[in-house]
Amino acid sequence: MEKELIDVDLSMKFDSLSVLENIRFKVHENEFLVIVGPSGCGKTTMARLLAGLQKPTSGHVTMRGESISPKVHNISIVFQEPSCIPWRTLWDDITMGLVIKGVDQSAIKKRAKEVIKLVGLDGFEEYFPKQISGGMKQRVAIARAYATNPDLLLMDEPFGHLDAQTRYLMQIEIMRIWEKEKKTVVFITNNIEEAVYLATRIIVFSKLPARIKAEYRIELPRPRKLITPEFLGVRSEVTEQCEVVER
Amino acid sequence: MEEKINREKYKTLGYNVLTLFLFLAIWTLAYWLIKSPFFPSPLMVFNAFLELLIHGDIEDVKLGMHIQQSLWRIFGGFTAACILGIPLGLLMGLYGRVYDSTKVLIEPIRFIPPVAWIPLVIVLLVGYFRFVFIIWLGAFFPIFIGTLLSVRGVNPLHIEVPKSFGASRFYIIRNIVLPSVLPEVLTSMRVGLGIAWECIMAAEMIGGERVGIGIMILKYAQLIRMDAIIVGIIVIGIIGFGLNEIFIFVEKRIFRWKEVVSI
Repeated sequence: MEKELIDVDLSMKFDSLSVLENIRFKVHENEFLVIVGPSGCGKTTMARLLAGLQKPTSGHVTMRGESISPKVHNISIVFQEPSCIPWRTLWDDITMGLVIKGVDQSAIKKRAKEVIKLVGLDGFEEYFPKQISGGMKQRVAIARAYATNPDLLLMDEPFGHLDAQTRYLMQIEIMRIWEKEKKTVVFITNNIEEAVYLATRIIVFSKLPARIKAEYRIELPRPRKLITPEFLGVRSEVTEQCEVVER
Repeated sequence: MEEKINREKYKTLGYNVLTLFLFLAIWTLAYWLIKSPFFPSPLMVFNAFLELLIHGDIEDVKLGMHIQQSLWRIFGGFTAACILGIPLGLLMGLYGRVYDSTKVLIEPIRFIPPVAWIPLVIVLLVGYFRFVFIIWLGAFFPIFIGTLLSVRGVNPLHIEVPKSFGASRFYIIRNIVLPSVLPEVLTSMRVGLGIAWECIMAAEMIGGERVGIGIMILKYAQLIRMDAIIVGIIVIGIIGFGLNEIFIFVEKRIFRWKEVVSI
């Protein structure tokens, strides 16, 4: 049975600008939930609300019945922008969450080695961010987020800045990692193909102010192939629900 | 690779030597053309330099003493400016309210040139503290404002990363804010030091003391001894240059992680 982890029921305004309106959904344990929506529709705001970095104007985000907060819950977030700390070596960056959470030294070492291996950064522990590529930086952010074994892993368009090829490889990698260490993931993207490739469930946001337009359960077998008729069918079905913003 | 960098270094050094040589040549040429008793040649200045270094000035104070005394004053004023400017800048950068509520006092003072305080200082302070105060005034604001702005310029994302793990405010200040602002603080210290060096000249020219590089210049100004005056000017320039180079060297050493080191 699916166990409910997070309950969202909120609206969000910035001054008079309504960004999210009556957003209601639940996140279940071990699911890979993908939120898709056009760019500028408040998806990042949704991620920040789920991370407890911001409070909704009205309503709530709760995790196991308690209002969500990074001080109480074990949450990790991978940001859209490159978020490596420039003066920290990859090792110090990846272990940051573990240090903050007060994990003891030997456990930190063990876990850090694990996640570094998982994202394929072994050998680069003593490098500084300026010495590595964009794709590697994003893998550092993923390793850092994974290291703390979060109950909720948030990914806010984590591959948005990567080139198409690296992006594709990262999608395969994230799927591999997720299948290995079943985590609850909320993944945000504006790329429908990416959504259908990764998700167990998709929620489609409308353009501003965002409302939930549709919801899909994706039951295609894994590893998914991007060009099978089934895949393309689901993809075009989701695409129809997504509005294209004209600016 | 290493060899190539070394060759570049020597090349740069060579061009600098050439620049210096050309400058001396033009100076000498100007000396021959102008033929004025008030325009000394490089050689005359060099002789005056040796004279000042070995035998001292008209009051038998040697050049080394003048330099030492001036540096000591700079040290006092500059240290005071750092001790007050850096923590205050950090505090006001972190708590914008403090700055916003005291702006009415801070901003006008900032625009008063240190020299304008001199008459007040002459009356109210004596000896060493006169110089320290004037230098402090000059060096404090670039350091303070530089630090304050650098805190406001910390990348919000770098703060959100530890925040999303539930880090305390103390952790974020220590591990994100401080390392992030350090390069800019050091740069503003460098700017502050330059201004301190300018201020000491103004402060020493008030008179009252016997030793100090500015005072030495003043002594010879009264005698219209241009050669000795120029020695003073050059010494000021070289020491300022030296201090700046030391700072840049330290910056390069500390901030290995930085993409580019500012010049």
